[in-house]
Amino acid sequence: MLYSILASGLAVGAVYALIGITYNTMFATSRVMSFTAGQLGMLGGVLGSMFILRLGLPLIVGLGATLLACAAIGVLTEFVAVRPVLKSLDQHLYVLSTLAFALLIQQVTAIEWSTEPQPFPRLFGIGDGVWDEKYWLPVATCAATIIGLEYLYRRTLIGRAFLAVAEDNFAARALGLPERNLRIASYALAAVVGGLAGFSGGELLLAFFANGPQLNFYGFIPVALGGLGNNRGAVIGGLALGLFQQAANFAVGGIFASVAVFVMFIAILLAAPQGLFGSSAARRV
Amino acid sequence: MTMTRSKWMTALPYVLILAVLALLPLSGNEYRALIGTRAAIYWVLIAGLNLVVGYAGQLAIGYVALFALGAYTASILAAGNVLPEVSPALALLAASGVGAVFGVVVGLPALRLRTFYFAMTTLGFATIVTQVALGWQDVTGGGIGLSGPSLPAPFDTAWGLYGLCVGLAMIATLITANVAHSRFGRALIATRDAEVAAEASGISKPALLVSVFLFAGAAAGLAGGLFAALQTYITPDAFTFDLSLLFFISILIGGRGSILGPLLGTIILTLLPEIAAPLAAWSTFVYAGLLLVIVLAMPGGIAALLNRENRKALPTGRVILPQQAALRSLLGEARRKQRLDLSGIVLRFGGLRAIDGLDLSVEPGEVHGLIGPNGSGKTTTLNVISGYYKPQEGRLTLGDSPLPAGLPVGRAARGICRTFQTPRIIGEETVLENVMVGGTLAGRATFVEALLSLPRARADERLIRERAVLALKAVGLDGLGDIRADRLQHSELRFLEIARGLMLHPRLVLLDEPAAGLSTIEIERLGALIKAISREGVAVLLVEHHADLIFDVCDRVTVLNLGRVLAHGTPAEIRVHKEVVSAYLGA
Amino acid sequence: MPISEPEAPLLRVHGLHAGYGKVGVLHGVEMDIRAGELVTLLGPNGAGKTTLLRAISGLLPWDAGEIGFGGSSLRGVDPGKAGMLGLVHVIEGHRVFTQSTVTDNLLLAGYHLPRGERAARVEEALGYFPEIAEKRHALGGALSGGQQQMLAVAQGLVRQPKLLMLDEPSAGLSPVLVDRVFSVLARLRDKGVAVLLVEQLIEKALAVADRLYALSQGRIVMTASAQESDLPARLERAYFGVNCAPDETKEILAGNS
Repeated sequence: MLYSILASGLAVGAVYALIGITYNTMFATSRVMSFTAGQLGMLGGVLGSMFILRLGLPLIVGLGATLLACAAIGVLTEFVAVRPVLKSLDQHLYVLSTLAFALLIQQVTAIEWSTEPQPFPRLFGIGDGVWDEKYWLPVATCAATIIGLEYLYRRTLIGRAFLAVAEDNFAARALGLPERNLRIASYALAAVVGGLAGFSGGELLLAFFANGPQLNFYGFIPVALGGLGNNRGAVIGGLALGLFQQAANFAVGGIFASVAVFVMFIAILLAAPQGLFGSSAARRV
Repeated sequence: MTMTRSKWMTALPYVLILAVLALLPLSGNEYRALIGTRAAIYWVLIAGLNLVVGYAGQLAIGYVALFALGAYTASILAAGNVLPEVSPALALLAASGVGAVFGVVVGLPALRLRTFYFAMTTLGFATIVTQVALGWQDVTGGGIGLSGPSLPAPFDTAWGLYGLCVGLAMIATLITANVAHSRFGRALIATRDAEVAAEASGISKPALLVSVFLFAGAAAGLAGGLFAALQTYITPDAFTFDLSLLFFISILIGGRGSILGPLLGTIILTLLPEIAAPLAAWSTFVYAGLLLVIVLAMPGGIAALLNRENRKALPTGRVILPQQAALRSLLGEARRKQRLDLSGIVLRFGGLRAIDGLDLSVEPGEVHGLIGPNGSGKTTTLNVISGYYKPQEGRLTLGDSPLPAGLPVGRAARGICRTFQTPRIIGEETVLENVMVGGTLAGRATFVEALLSLPRARADERLIRERAVLALKAVGLDGLGDIRADRLQHSELRFLEIARGLMLHPRLVLLDEPAAGLSTIEIERLGALIKAISREGVAVLLVEHHADLIFDVCDRVTVLNLGRVLAHGTPAEIRVHKEVVSAYLGA
Repeated sequence: MPISEPEAPLLRVHGLHAGYGKVGVLHGVEMDIRAGELVTLLGPNGAGKTTLLRAISGLLPWDAGEIGFGGSSLRGVDPGKAGMLGLVHVIEGHRVFTQSTVTDNLLLAGYHLPRGERAARVEEALGYFPEIAEKRHALGGALSGGQQQMLAVAQGLVRQPKLLMLDEPSAGLSPVLVDRVFSVLARLRDKGVAVLLVEQLIEKALAVADRLYALSQGRIVMTASAQESDLPARLERAYFGVNCAPDETKEILAGNS
């Protein structure tokens, strides 16, 4: 029992962590928290199932097509829902525009795909029991993503440019960095991470149009707990959340596990508004 | 009287809506009764939510959760399957109470956290309520559901329930309008659009928001109970996120800070699927598309389209002419004069000493200039005095009692007002309403009194309005009271901020670069105004770059450099001070 | 150096109006800078010096007037493109990227350069500042304020400026370090790079500059060669003198009181 809690907890936790990284990656270059993060996770599952099961594409091609489509959605998000409201960031219009865009994605999926959960293909067919691929795949993907992002941020100039824009947008612009293109690129990158979350967690969460809001909320919790923009916090928070949720599931049952998660979330946020690893607020006057 | 005529014009749309609602039973079509009842019920919720979203600017996107809670509470209590059975009226009341409690619980994050967090919390709450409704089968009947409360006669028929719901919707309209037009409504908008200015006017955001969350939650719970009675049978499917979206978007389509707009929005969105049946499957898509279009293309909503006042041309060639007589009657009543003292203030940011052992005193009736190069700590000093920063060392007193460090909200009550480098105004409100925000503390009626528009609330309104008109005259913005503040010129906004501050009947006025962006003649008038304010016994602390203004109006000047006092004395002494010339002018 | 007589200035600012939202800050600024000239821009706080630099470098869109650089208009040109033309702005407050190393900070400044050229440019820029060359692997956040300022100037050099604009590079620096930075500016001028230096330290700025402009309340109120005598007193008069109310104004005031 303990092992199955650990396995499923780490697996969903890894998916939440990846969604958290999706939020962070978009936030870093734009200061916008986008409701599309969860929908990208949903799309990872739905598109994966569509390309591989329905259209019968090979795994690699299906994965590539899924991620490419997600990246396109990410770029579209930047154009439609983010750029027009960046000028008035303080009015929080981005909450509404990204929510609206996320709902458009969700509704089109519901109507064009299915309103019922659809099966996701078994990708490799490796392992069973607690070592089933549906458990270790998200964890492995999360680890690979982190390594990939670390490489990008530490070893490539474009990665360092991302960090520069994230740290001081104005200085980056003054230095001549192509801040706009970097923002678009970061939305594409975030979308790929979100798509990976849904794809790797597909065997666990299935290809279901309504996964979006759930992933939005459970992916946001690690970000809120870890502090905005803090990927390390998101990973720790995501895995902790997954384990907590699965343990509560086992202890008090699914319904009250969600209540427990929600209560914990509000309690921690009220105690530590900047998150457990966050920094203090900006100057107001 | 033009006044009554404009009041009639305001009331006309409501009268028309009411007339249609009153005539509807004549059609005898019970399906129409159902639609009308549904719209009325939605409006009971939306009217309350409007104060949260449209007035306080809190993005509560999951209010369907409170609606569902109300529906289940009323149904469960009326059915008596868990607790002893209660009467339907009591069940509705309990639904309202549960809604109020959870309205505050879900609202708690809004008191401390960023907007997105609150939006997310309400969304998460909505998800969880649906899950609990599905899973807690012993109580909620799970996916099968349970029957709603059956109301007693005469409300047990379609038209009876219709009458009840329309009546409640009218009451909801009236009392939210009462709040909206009271100092609480203005304070809500102030916390939405100019939070720092609201704080400086003594408005406590947490207390205000809790009142509004209680009220909106109660309205949502009641609406949920009524909905259960209308549906006669409820399942979790009835409370999808689409419904939440309908509530939320009705308000945004209608426009922020308006009652009529969201009312029309509610009617339109309720009728839309009825009129265009093929749209039903795509309704969420349409709502979401509408939301995107509104946000990107017409953020003012219906209310902005209806507002003709805004398109009128402004008088050109306006001049700002402060009137001393008005100032005198505004500040004339005796208020004990107090002197501001700062001693040994030290403020560190990390390793940097932004203020490094500052002593400063400002006498009543004195204009005290605070000058120095960039980064010398002038604005920081103002922020320490007004409580935004908490110094690590030193004492801060006004009169005989200390000013608690780091608590901005209490400053207004002590008679400290301030203006800001960038004017903090509410662009969507009129000039007069902006000034009235400064008089929030002068009101004595409670939130409940304002809800019901009791005599004390009406007396508050009269008093605050009178003083605001006077304050506008005093700073020279007479005649601009009815104009939306964002249509004013920048220089006028600076005087508007001073008028808002004067509403506090201040003992101490803190001015942060009031002359920035003003023309030469406006600066001279500003100088005269500042001097006149101080001569009423008010202590004035003036941070300014314009040397001529400083030397013209100040009685004493303190020069800061690197967080320390470099020199202080009369303007004449400062002008020839060698170190000052080198530090301030950079020679 | 033989200079052909009717030489067009490298930078020409004409009738420039700019500001933030409704607040006008610059009211018709006129300014010319020739190649290889070190000009200092002086003025009291709030005069609009920073705004002027931002308008020139494309960080702030301007309302009316014209800015030309090397013969072409800068309207709608963003800081990235301006940099490629040779117009480089080192903003105030030594805002280097604290999470990146010194080398990375400099490589970022060379983002637009061909990959093979970057390392050479970085080395060249570090050559001016041995102090930070020693710390090339340290994080920007680990440097002292003075070193960060040198790094910020070095970032500007990586971009190979024809005109280097610096906003108060002396702020928060010890006098020794200010002299270090200014000596680099003098060397750049000698290599033919034009420099526009916004400064609070008038004496130090005048010591290194060829020419000065004084800005007050959004207008150029004085321009002079840096070698002229009695400049501090003349500057003070220029700052305070602009606001003598004309007689007309006084009459209006008298009529109302």
